[in-house]
Amino acid sequence: MGQTLAQKILSRIVGRSVEIGEIIMPEAELVTVHDWYAANAARALDEVGVTELFDPARVMFTTDHEPVAVSPHAAERQQRVREIAARLGIGHFFDVGRGGQGHVFPVELGYIRPGMYIAGYDTHVTNFGAVGALGIAVLTEVSELMALGSVWQQVPQTVRINLHGQLPAGISIRDVAQKIIGELDPDLIDDAVVEFAGPGLRHIGIDGRFTLVNTPTELGARSAIVEPDEIVRAYLADRVDGPVELPRSDPDAPFRAVIEWDMALMEPQVAAPPRPDRVVGVSQVSGTRIDHAYIGSCASGMIEDMRETARFLKGRVIHPRVRLFVTPATNRVAAQMAEESLTGIIQASGAVLTPPGCGVCAGGRIGPVAPGEVSIGTGTRNDPGRLGAHDAQLYIASPATVAAAAITGEICDPRGLDPDLQPREAAHD
Amino acid sequence: MTERFDFEGNAWVLGDNIALDGELMELKYALARETDPEILRHQIFRGLDPTLAERIRPGDIVVTGRRFAHGNPHIQGLIGLRGAGVGLVCESIHSGSFRCAINAGLPFLPRCPGVTALVKPGDRLRVDFATGALQNVTRGERHQFDPLPAELRRIVSNGGWLPTFRQRLAQQN
Repeated sequence: MGQTLAQKILSRIVGRSVEIGEIIMPEAELVTVHDWYAANAARALDEVGVTELFDPARVMFTTDHEPVAVSPHAAERQQRVREIAARLGIGHFFDVGRGGQGHVFPVELGYIRPGMYIAGYDTHVTNFGAVGALGIAVLTEVSELMALGSVWQQVPQTVRINLHGQLPAGISIRDVAQKIIGELDPDLIDDAVVEFAGPGLRHIGIDGRFTLVNTPTELGARSAIVEPDEIVRAYLADRVDGPVELPRSDPDAPFRAVIEWDMALMEPQVAAPPRPDRVVGVSQVSGTRIDHAYIGSCASGMIEDMRETARFLKGRVIHPRVRLFVTPATNRVAAQMAEESLTGIIQASGAVLTPPGCGVCAGGRIGPVAPGEVSIGTGTRNDPGRLGAHDAQLYIASPATVAAAAITGEICDPRGLDPDLQPREAAHD
Repeated sequence: MTERFDFEGNAWVLGDNIALDGELMELKYALARETDPEILRHQIFRGLDPTLAERIRPGDIVVTGRRFAHGNPHIQGLIGLRGAGVGLVCESIHSGSFRCAINAGLPFLPRCPGVTALVKPGDRLRVDFATGALQNVTRGERHQFDPLPAELRRIVSNGGWLPTFRQRLAQQN
């Protein structure tokens, strides 16, 4: 019997062929820890008397949850993280203003290759699957991972989703990603690696793939991964040294399930409160007045998302009641936005551009919602309190749907405002 | 520290989709990072029935339906169950809670399809969590399920993650 891609990756790591369900101790090739947890991890290490890490050169600290300290407490935390990074000899320390969102910039900067195994403190470490790497979240045990290089993993099962067709005009990859987690049985996805493959992938670039592999974790997937292909190889060509291998699942690999998925969707998809898998067609929530909007996050903060945002906002102003926060995921995305003159378009609309990182999605530390407000954004989750006030109503949608809602002041089908679909309306705007 | 794996006690049967936050344990204990089993044992299932925690006895078996303890993987609910001295038998358990249950040192059987139909509330049960054998003493029936893998039973018998981490560190030095 053949092997799944996840099985192959973990087999390579432990140096022998592993079976699904087996308990192994795989050494992570990169360990990522974000700015809100680094000090906790260091405290846990202190408590068990660890002063030297297994391999500090493999550890990366990112500063993305609160990249600009706006309180004395946050400034002190950043100071502690700097001291810890120096004391433990952390190999890759991305301090304030460096890198950006830690599930995106390591890919941009060539740290991640197809077939790598990465473990990190955050459920969205699955993003590294965009280029065919296996990212698995390790929470409390991340201190053990730092100290000893590994924590136990049960070799996961894989659910393969073969994508077919292409995105209809006015439908985005975020709509597809949301529809998938809205439709699939959580029991089918639970603890599995969701592997995206199929002919439809030919039409989805790396930015869209970040979105695809970001969302299954909300249903309880262990990870998500795109079968790496020539698009990945081309993307990495000038980012990594040496040849890029493209490991794949064998045709007779023991998948838990194989799902054929057509990307043709009738309408944009919105996750309604209070969970990201409560997904409905936009028509079911159209007319909902909003106060607050957000575009960014590790799911939808890439340059394609920013282009889409600027395409909708160009020559328009956002609704007077609405405040819109836009966060490029990384420094490179922000620089590219300036180069393409997207920055000015977005700012002229009345939106607030924040520094690269997680933006509002990291607990609403930047630009939170107030009690009773309604928000629509491109963040990862919409649990009560996720963006500030506990009783605020949080919707999740694509950048186009969020931008359209910010312009009109209510949730609406963005296709009615799409300049490419409505050239006449756009010309008069 | 070695935990016992053979339990005999009364069955408490719960349905499908018991949420971790709010039903098994109030979210405030996760936000406060409370990890004392003696505190958390008195708070289990408060969101379902505020009297349950005080009626459940050490040695009792909590039997649940599918997707037990779904939600963000906060360990407090699983520490509460361990503190109460119960064993856990689930039709299925959410993956984050599976890991938390191991880390909390809780004896459990994670995948027992159909088990809620085999047990009524109050039935006397004997469960050997090392072998997966479940005996319904009241009904005079025996059933067999898959136990945890040996490597994970070892973590549970050590008392959970932190003692196991310390043991691993000691072995390295």
